Amino acid sequence: MNKIKTKIILLAGLALLFGLYACAHTSSIATQHPVEVTGFPICSDCHTDWRTAMDHTSDWAARHRFYAEQQTGTCKVCHKESFCSDCHAHKEELKPSDKYKDSPERTLPHRGDYLNQHKIDGRINPASCMKCHGRSNNERCLTCHR
Amino acid sequence: MQSNGMLIDTFSAPFVKRIVNSVALSILLLCMPAASWAASLSGDSSTYLQSREAADNSKILGGYEYLDFAVQDLGNDTISFHTGGWLRDDFQTEEYGTKTNSDLQYSYLSFKSKTDNTVVNLGRVMVFEGVAAERVDGLYARTDLKAGFGVSAFGGTPVETNINMPGDNVIYGGRLSQGGDSYKIGISALKEEKDSQDYRKEEGIDIWAHAMDKVDITGRSSYNDITKGWMEHTYVLMLGPFSNLRFDTTASWINYDDYFFRATTSALSVINGQILDGEKVRILGESASYRATDNVSIIADYKNFDYTIEGAANYYGGLLKYSADEGSGGAGLGYHRMSGATDKVRYNEYRVYGYKKLGKFDLTADLLDVVYDAPIFGVKDSYSGSLAAQYDLAEAWKLGADVEYSQNPDFNKDVRGMVKLLYRFGAKGGA
Repeated sequence: MNKIKTKIILLAGLALLFGLYACAHTSSIATQHPVEVTGFPICSDCHTDWRTAMDHTSDWAARHRFYAEQQTGTCKVCHKESFCSDCHAHKEELKPSDKYKDSPERTLPHRGDYLNQHKIDGRINPASCMKCHGRSNNERCLTCHR
Repeated sequence: MQSNGMLIDTFSAPFVKRIVNSVALSILLLCMPAASWAASLSGDSSTYLQSREAADNSKILGGYEYLDFAVQDLGNDTISFHTGGWLRDDFQTEEYGTKTNSDLQYSYLSFKSKTDNTVVNLGRVMVFEGVAAERVDGLYARTDLKAGFGVSAFGGTPVETNINMPGDNVIYGGRLSQGGDSYKIGISALKEEKDSQDYRKEEGIDIWAHAMDKVDITGRSSYNDITKGWMEHTYVLMLGPFSNLRFDTTASWINYDDYFFRATTSALSVINGQILDGEKVRILGESASYRATDNVSIIADYKNFDYTIEGAANYYGGLLKYSADEGSGGAGLGYHRMSGATDKVRYNEYRVYGYKKLGKFDLTADLLDVVYDAPIFGVKDSYSGSLAAQYDLAEAWKLGADVEYSQNPDFNKDVRGMVKLLYRFGAKGGA
């Protein structure tokens, strides 16, 4: 009986979704920003709506994940997938800060001597390691942390 | 550079091979009449040669080729193909125990509708939707619905490293959101099964609200449905800009037992590793940034870490930044102090950098200096300085080189260098 109820609820949910989809008529977000942006984008220089929250200010690196999780499409107006995978890699051997030594103004993980610094960062806030090295991109970690 | 066959060899699951073959076949079929469809190809090739010394004193000379490209306007302007990956060959020794290595970072066929933000991606896709920040060999789809609703779903084989468990290996999940111009709220869930057993079950709620002019709040809470505990609550309040002054306040609570559940390296494992069982941390942070002029910014930031077991730590400091017009140069001067409960987590951090475009040259200098309160392996002052130069060979070609010198607890008078050749082809793209 419970299985039948579950199926009915699922079917009703799917029907509702299709109904809402059929009635939706929103415009898709642009695939490319109409104006070329140089440097760190300060969206509020031009926009006055919700996009002002996406100003790439000094703490952007810490809060960018919320926008990526909520509205990936907006990120892709300016960024290609490879931009994300530079840091969020499945397997990676080159540190982002090594690939982009000519961009010291960017917030990139593991600058300088990270072999020693990772012991400090890992003690202070290991959660910051987890997203990239928890279940992937940890071959280098496993050379010592087996 | 190795053949494509090497990329395929890195996959172990036949399912993955089938996906890759299917995507490749689809691309081939779609590309055949490309001339009449006016398909466009764009991408980047980055070739690196890196010389450095490993922790075991072995010399490493790694040659890397990173290639990413997109084929767009396939058939019509709604279908495209995106792929990116890298290959490495070490010319001197075996890096990480292998002479060669490679990775397919992403590779998928994409359908994007001109209405409703409908997207369907098939192949190796990256999924960022609520609690999901995953790489999946499978399918990802999202669309807008009526009344501000939106829905996304994904499913396939998780792309993870170092998990050797028998049987099937499946991940799936989705997110339902509702919002308007001034708010968005989402609920999301993911489930991962290994050998038909629940491996991960996570649910979450995420919000963004533009409460009033110059006031935004965003954040997420996520719940571990296997350990039956909250993994994380993290929220950010953004105020401003008020005459170029902006404040960001962060509050975060993380329960280690729930958050680090299913980590695959002992460094991040509660069960058999170095993460303290039962530890909880509350992180409070404040950042104030002021744009003094169009070119000069001043940033001050503070973070307080309060642990249940380990005690407390404070990290605070500031950065003065200068950016010349149109990205033609810049400089930064920063200082931070980490003040933890033990000598191991007490240090002063100094940073100074500058970069300048001179004709076809880009020149960069960067110095990072960390002075520990107590010496580590007899070293109190750990520093690294780097110089980099890049030359525009042609509109699409750049040649660069850099050298880094460092002195630190693990390396004495360490010198490492890199040469790189960058090529951007096809239509203009994003970063």
